[in-house]
Amino acid sequence: MKTMLRDLGAELIGMFVAEKWLAIAVLLTVAAAGSLVDFAGLNPLVGGAVLLFGCLILLIESVCRAAKAGAS
Amino acid sequence: MMAWSTAAPAISAAFLASLVEVVEAFTIVLAVATLRGWRPAALGTTTGLVVLAAIVLLLGPLLDRVPISSLQLTIGILLLLFGMGWLRKASLRAAGVIPLHDEEAIFAAEAAELSETARSRQRNLGWAAGITALKAVLLEGLEVVFIVIAVGAGRGLLIPAGLGALAACAVVLAAGAIVHRPLSRVPENTLKFGVGVMLSAFGVFWTGEGLGIDWPGQDLALLLFATLFLGAGLLASIFARKLAVEFA
Repeated sequence: MKTMLRDLGAELIGMFVAEKWLAIAVLLTVAAAGSLVDFAGLNPLVGGAVLLFGCLILLIESVCRAAKAGAS
Repeated sequence: MMAWSTAAPAISAAFLASLVEVVEAFTIVLAVATLRGWRPAALGTTTGLVVLAAIVLLLGPLLDRVPISSLQLTIGILLLLFGMGWLRKASLRAAGVIPLHDEEAIFAAEAAELSETARSRQRNLGWAAGITALKAVLLEGLEVVFIVIAVGAGRGLLIPAGLGALAACAVVLAAGAIVHRPLSRVPENTLKFGVGVMLSAFGVFWTGEGLGIDWPGQDLALLLFATLFLGAGLLASIFARKLAVEFA
């Protein structure tokens, strides 16, 4: 039972944190987009563009970093 | 009135993602059934499904109490993390950096583990086999539940998304009943790539809506996001292949 709960916990975390730095960077990008929308007084679409293109760049960077490291 | 430009991606994302997860669970349940018979396999599977149903029944009503913008933001962020994780892994697999998921190998590994258990703990083997099936159904099922909630809850599409997931279960069970062996011919990485693209697109869409961004073109923006994530995933895969060779 203990092992199963531990596996369940690990599965839940693993679902959302495939790679630690990618997860942190995505959260920071969302925070940056939210700040631009809420506090910078810019057009909300600027925040949207930061969110969208930030995530696309992070994806490419994360895949390339893993490839350099010889997979993860 | 249901917007099909939103409903179709939600249903297909739920169907395709569930297909991947159900194939994985089916492989392990089949290994249990092959080695220890259908009784512990069916018992473990049923218990897993009951626990999953209980989780859905407990969580479902709570979703109605959460303000829609908070729900969209939370689900959007979780979808981004989940979808980009799948897309990252699928890109690395497509580039040959990490090995493809092999259902035959998983079947063999589960069978070997159960045989080992058989040698060491003869009396509790039925129990161990049942627990193995339960764990497989519960762990893979949790991902299905999350995907259905994530792609369905933001726009009241829980039922269509749930039907997409149920259709995937029916397809896998029907195919499994016919072939009676692990479904190794499912193009799993292609499916994961496609689902990763869709979930990431949904993630950006819901997160943006949760932050108060009105996307131009409303639901149609999803198609643009999906196209961009597909392009980024393919590009990442090409770069990764080159880098893997260069740094080998």
